[in-house]
Amino acid sequence: MSREPLLLVDKIVKTFGGFKALDGVSLQVAPGEILGLVGPNGSGKTTLINVISGLYHPDGGLVQYQGRTITNWPMHRRARHGINRTFQIPKPFKTLTVAENVELAHHFARPGAMTPREVLEFTGLADAADRLAQSLNSSQQKLLDLARALTTGPELVLVDELAAGLGPHELHQMADSLRHLADRAMALIVVEHHLGFVNQLTDRVIVMNAGKEIFEGSLALAAQDPIVSAVYLGNDAVDVSSVQ
Amino acid sequence: MLSPKLVSRRSHMGTNVAIPVVLLAAFSVAPMVYANQAVIFQMMAFMVLAQGVNLLYGFTGYLPFGYVGFFGIGAYGMAIGIELFHLPGLVALVVGALFSVIVALILSPLLRLSGAYFAISSLAASEVLYNVVANPALVHLTNGPYGESLVQSYHPETSYIAMVVLLIVTTIIVIVIKNTAFGRALMAIREDPVSAEMAGIAVVRTRTIIWIVSAVIAGLTGAIFGWHLSVFYPSTVFDLSISILAIVFTLFGGGGTAIGPILGSVVLYGLYNAIGISDPQYFELIYGLLIVLLVLFLPGGVVSLLQRRGNYVP
Amino acid sequence: MLEYSLIAGILFGVFFGFMALGLNLIFGVMQVVNLAHGDFVVLGGYLAVVAYSSAHVNPLMSLILALVLFVVVAYVLYFPLIPRLTKSKDPEMLSLILFFGLSQIIEALDVIGFGNNPRSLPLAIMGSVPLHFLGQNYQMAWVITALVSLIMIGVTYGFLYYTRIGYAARAVMGNRDEAMASGLPVAQTSAIIFAVGIGLAAMAGVMSPFMIGSIDPSTGLGLTTIAFAIVVIGSLGNPLGSVLGGLVYGISVMLMQTYFSSWSNLVPYLLLLIIVLVKPSGLLGRGVRNA
Repeated sequence: MSREPLLLVDKIVKTFGGFKALDGVSLQVAPGEILGLVGPNGSGKTTLINVISGLYHPDGGLVQYQGRTITNWPMHRRARHGINRTFQIPKPFKTLTVAENVELAHHFARPGAMTPREVLEFTGLADAADRLAQSLNSSQQKLLDLARALTTGPELVLVDELAAGLGPHELHQMADSLRHLADRAMALIVVEHHLGFVNQLTDRVIVMNAGKEIFEGSLALAAQDPIVSAVYLGNDAVDVSSVQ
Repeated sequence: MLSPKLVSRRSHMGTNVAIPVVLLAAFSVAPMVYANQAVIFQMMAFMVLAQGVNLLYGFTGYLPFGYVGFFGIGAYGMAIGIELFHLPGLVALVVGALFSVIVALILSPLLRLSGAYFAISSLAASEVLYNVVANPALVHLTNGPYGESLVQSYHPETSYIAMVVLLIVTTIIVIVIKNTAFGRALMAIREDPVSAEMAGIAVVRTRTIIWIVSAVIAGLTGAIFGWHLSVFYPSTVFDLSISILAIVFTLFGGGGTAIGPILGSVVLYGLYNAIGISDPQYFELIYGLLIVLLVLFLPGGVVSLLQRRGNYVP
Repeated sequence: MLEYSLIAGILFGVFFGFMALGLNLIFGVMQVVNLAHGDFVVLGGYLAVVAYSSAHVNPLMSLILALVLFVVVAYVLYFPLIPRLTKSKDPEMLSLILFFGLSQIIEALDVIGFGNNPRSLPLAIMGSVPLHFLGQNYQMAWVITALVSLIMIGVTYGFLYYTRIGYAARAVMGNRDEAMASGLPVAQTSAIIFAVGIGLAAMAGVMSPFMIGSIDPSTGLGLTTIAFAIVVIGSLGNPLGSVLGGLVYGISVMLMQTYFSSWSNLVPYLLLLIIVLVKPSGLLGRGVRNA
């Protein structure tokens, strides 16, 4: 990784009450790169996404983006500078239509951003453009989150559990779409339970456990890693061996 | 790139222009047709207040039970301008507005609260303002519980015209906000502040702006109201039922529209005049029942009956 | 003076903690802020006043009457109101408005039924000899009210921790969805807690004329605000939290009345604002927007 990183996260600490949700996590993402973020429930993946997107301000550590320190920037400022995200529990503007949701987000778009029509076609929501967001099912609402994020013209998209609820065919399409975004020089951090899906996207993953990074490398190597195996042992929802 | 919705919004320009024009005509003519000017004046005051509540509740989702605090502080700011600084009435109105801005800034941390916490805390804030203004310790500034008497500045015609102007300006503000990106930003914040931030909306700044705008609207209403009365007590201008009526009028007509609060004020204030003045408890009973029925069966207010059929409601 | 303020503050605080208990339970289980809470307290007060003035019923007897009557009334009210609300788009806000409407209805009915004049109960009903303690005298009615309040808080605590409905109620307070998923009778529990919460409000109302001097139809909203402040200071769903909140409130009011009496009206409002603003997450950890 000789390129200048797009995002640099350095020794982030975040505590809730006495509980250390993030305990000195560091990572780097290059422009156009896809990074998978995996780990058991409660390992701190979503908390880390929240720190990078600005929903949480960390208690320690540093977030740098394009060489600037953004640790305490508010979310909208990050959004206008090209960091955007989706949510694990989707958060559409429920009483607005799908088109209005996307148009609102496009209002502050950066130059060269995909237009509302383009993102609706890209996410397959074009036919639902005039429906109220609250009438969409959960997977569609997640896609709407993604559409909204894309139409702001981001350079870094944080994708939180997009695959949940998708069938095998849709998963495959989704992986294609995301790779296509990376080809357009958009970096992605993909938080995902579905390891097969991550495996289709990238061979660079970070495995987290208890607020710490315990492994960095390809999923195939992660499966052979004794610490990673120990963490996943007994968690039958996730079978690391299945990705090999 | 305009969606069909945006295009159709353009063609409703006429409807939107008609609202302030009709209001202006109605309230210019009304005093010549209807002898009881006090009723017409108060109806205007409630229309303005209902629009102020509309900006906060209808567009932004904050229910301000303590909205009357801005009204009362505006009235007292105006009175202080006249009594202490010997300003002419129209200039003193600006002092009233300034006071309400200062109070709004001090209270702006309340916007961090959601739902019931905001509603009840705003009520508490208005009670604090009332108890401070009415406190005997402030007798030199506010004349404490003994009220203000500004008979030397009594100008019923000028203050009437000032209220008409305020009503028109407020209505235009609501229409403009409803039809611009700012209004949709407010709606987005109401729906989901976090997603609004990710859409690039500066949530804290946007809602602080609308908070101050609605505070100024209430402050000016209170200032003009106090000027028009020229004699009032803290209990007159900090009366909680002022907030309550403004909220009920907005809910009844329908928030998030320009016409809803006007409709609500005309119908319910008319009803109030018919039965409320002699038997306020029966009026209270009626609007209490109305609120319960609205929440259960028509949460969008009367205008939602029209919206339901897909009609455009200004 | 200080001893008097503190001890009177404790007596009043225990009462106000009890007064807030019903609001706390309903808020905790249903996420519904019962803005008519104070009006149900006032109704309990009217019941005691009318029972005493027309038939010399001792308020201690009226307590039982109030509990039975208002549990039944509230249980009947529950079904047309709450289930419809919880299914709606914005239950928290709509319930706030709905109960605000209910509060206006009760106030109007109070005026129609009992007039606008303040009504009170003679303190001497509860014994004319004051309690002498550490060199100061305290009204026997205050002491008895505080005792009744303590007993009822204890009973509520027992109900929550040692009955099946209480167990279900605590589970729903913890996590409604999980309680529902694990097969607890959430709807039935909500209905019972709603009835109990309003029954407790009416019981506090029976004793309220002794503590707040007199009641009139407009007393309710102020009591709701005080109760809300107490719930926020204490902790949601925990009866002991209500006692804590009540004590903070009672002692603050008494100290203000002793040392800055002209400002003592501000106490409940200032306490509430200080709590919600200085501790932005709220002592309950809820009620704050994410952005």
